[in-house]
Amino acid sequence: MGIVNKRFEKISELFSPGKPLERFYPIFEAWDNFLRTPGTRTQKAPHVRDVVDLKRVMIIVVIALFPCLFMGMYNVGYQIQKFQGAAASFPAALLSGARIVLPILLVTYLVGGFWEVLFAVIRKHEINEGFLVTGILFALTLPPSIPLWQVAVGISFGVVIGKEIFGGTGYNVLNPALTGRAFLFFAYPGYLSGDSVWAAVDGFSRATPLAVLSASGKGGAAVQTLLDAGYTFQNMFWGFIPGSIGETSKAACLLGLFLLLMTRIANWRVVVGCFLGLMTTGLLCMNFQGGQTLTYFSLPAHWHLVMGGFAFGAIFMATDPVSSCATQPGRWIYGFLVGALVMVIRVLNPAYPEGVMLAILFMNIVAPLIDYLVVESHIRRRAKHATAR
Amino acid sequence: MMNVIHIRKGKDLRLKGAAEKRIEETVPPQTVAILPLDFRGVIPRLLIQPGQTVKVGTPLFEDHNVPEIKIVSPASGEIVAIRRGDKRVLQEIIIKTDGKQGLERFREFDASAIKNCSREDIIQVLLRGGVWPCLRQRPFSKIANPQDRPKCIFVQAMNTEPLALDVDVLLRDRDAEFQLGLEIIKKLTAGEIHLCFSSTAKSTALTHAPGVVRHLFSGPHPAGNVSTHIHYIDPIKKGDIVWYLQAEDVLRIARLFREGLFSPEKVVAVTGEGVSRRVYKKTIIGASLADIIPGSPPGGLRYISGSVLRGENVGREGFLHFYDSQVTVIPEGGKREFLGWLSFGIKKFSLTRTLASSFFPSSRELSLDTDNHGSKRSIILNDIYDPYVPLDILVYFLVRAILSGDLEEAERLGLLECAEEDFSLCSFVCPSKVDIAEILRRGLAAAEKDS
Repeated sequence: MGIVNKRFEKISELFSPGKPLERFYPIFEAWDNFLRTPGTRTQKAPHVRDVVDLKRVMIIVVIALFPCLFMGMYNVGYQIQKFQGAAASFPAALLSGARIVLPILLVTYLVGGFWEVLFAVIRKHEINEGFLVTGILFALTLPPSIPLWQVAVGISFGVVIGKEIFGGTGYNVLNPALTGRAFLFFAYPGYLSGDSVWAAVDGFSRATPLAVLSASGKGGAAVQTLLDAGYTFQNMFWGFIPGSIGETSKAACLLGLFLLLMTRIANWRVVVGCFLGLMTTGLLCMNFQGGQTLTYFSLPAHWHLVMGGFAFGAIFMATDPVSSCATQPGRWIYGFLVGALVMVIRVLNPAYPEGVMLAILFMNIVAPLIDYLVVESHIRRRAKHATAR
Repeated sequence: MMNVIHIRKGKDLRLKGAAEKRIEETVPPQTVAILPLDFRGVIPRLLIQPGQTVKVGTPLFEDHNVPEIKIVSPASGEIVAIRRGDKRVLQEIIIKTDGKQGLERFREFDASAIKNCSREDIIQVLLRGGVWPCLRQRPFSKIANPQDRPKCIFVQAMNTEPLALDVDVLLRDRDAEFQLGLEIIKKLTAGEIHLCFSSTAKSTALTHAPGVVRHLFSGPHPAGNVSTHIHYIDPIKKGDIVWYLQAEDVLRIARLFREGLFSPEKVVAVTGEGVSRRVYKKTIIGASLADIIPGSPPGGLRYISGSVLRGENVGREGFLHFYDSQVTVIPEGGKREFLGWLSFGIKKFSLTRTLASSFFPSSRELSLDTDNHGSKRSIILNDIYDPYVPLDILVYFLVRAILSGDLEEAERLGLLECAEEDFSLCSFVCPSKVDIAEILRRGLAAAEKDS
């Protein structure tokens, strides 16, 4: 440790005021504090501080995403093996998946990191660790077949328009990862509109479960339609289906959820709200099924939980504390409406087979309004409390 | 009517280094200081000069706006220095004591004379005797204005800060004095006297105090804060003024009337793992830390007047602040750890659940140093503060309103009910290392200027 410290002191001189690399101090600072705790002392009360810092918080979220990342890699490889008719082999699948997923992740971090550093240097503030999470979240929402230049364009949009123009991490209205994905979704619909894509081999495409149902017309039985297409509840839960890299395995999402709730980084009210919203709306939809309604209506509500990106979105995206509600009742309402909107967009609106991304983005916009109403009612209650005495 | 009010939100930081609950007599300190910045709301106008000799109770300075408010010397001796800071703000008046504690004499009152005193008489005696600054008001935690008529008066007879002095010990066998003090302050308000103490208090001065409304509080810090008491008993609205004082000052008031003197007595809990002899010491207001903790080692320690959560870093040679009854000495931090964020944190402490130690509750006392444990970021986890504030306050929104300069919104959200110390646990726990208490202080200062 002593040697490391000495080295760092030497390097830090190069970045000190008046030295040639002064402008790039945030880059040095970020690496320095990544490798060593900052070691600053409190100046005044409170003289002691909690050990937790944002670096730790963000890294826990990244770790919570690892199951999704590895399951995603494996599944990408598995889908290719399946298409090629090769014998299923776990290491081979993981390896060929990694070969597709890691470049996407790398491009995300390099390009997004570039913007992050650029803004930090210009604004002369430290680099916020939030980008570690945004980067991996963004990569995991992409289909494996996406061209790398689109990854670069998408993350650039997400970081710059979704976050930096508002003032950086903590001030954004929308979830930056989803903003980037939404941009790609509308700019290049052929690549990721969610119907027929998603395994990274030329000439292969297979309709996702969402697309199967969306295209199934009226009056059919949804479960049978899915089973006919080869999608069972089990393989949708474990994640052996085509889809975006991180969203396919609900089991992996649940592992991540476990870590986020155990460490209390995600607010459980949002997740439970999403679940209740989806289930309630799902049960309502089932009530209306019949010959005249879309087949999609007849899908049992609990099947919706394992369809598409709902689990991933509800656990990792909706819970983003910055872009969701900041009041406890607000979090319930926000979560519930995300879940309900997912159903509305998926089922009632035949244009989009998947609704998670749009539901969350829409609720990001509505969240401040919900908070406003909750805060106003809080203020009214406070006034009553004070005059009651 | 001895209802216990249970506080659920908050947290006790069980630090290493509690003081033994035994009051030890000490010799009068060699130097004492009065720190004019302690007296919030007072614009000092000096009444003495360097070199002048003073007695216990000699006025040192008065308030520019309300000249009747005088801050008096806690010791007899010679004024050796008057220190000023930026913009010539008066910072320290240092007195070299002569060890004799010679007294300024004031009128003595017997029981019947006190009964016959009007509110005006009482106020005049308190002002002249120099104990007036013990009375503070909410909102803004500043010195009470003798012209105001408070809705009620709160006596804070408990302290839940980490390692704080147990007020109960202080009041043992002083029932008569305490009672007399309560009778005197009762004349200051047409409303109630709310005596707030811990549900574990044993001294009869508290549990059998007559003529006041007794309130028992239990639960974690900040159950002992004045804001908490006011909020649960008689919350303030806009326009309300409430006065409050600490239990030991009730004794000070009683002695002023009965014995005709300004009693500078102060019992201080000497605490923290940085000091070895940890007891309650009987000393005087403004005593120097060098006298309270003789032979204290120089390096690597932080000397705090007050608690780790709200005290002031005064240094080894510093002085006890007027309202503090505790000294805390803790090790300085600042070690740089390699890949600190990777450690599971088995031996570290966090109120959050992000360390391995969070899941293995241990009864071991905490050893915390002054490391900041991170650098400043914008607020991300906005749900982390509310569990530490027992007031009906949406912390994140209040902070946001203050930061955006919207004082009207901040007041509607309850700014005036608060004091900065109510948010010290929020500053402690914030992963973005944002000093929430400091933001509150700024908001309150702005609101005070506005009012």
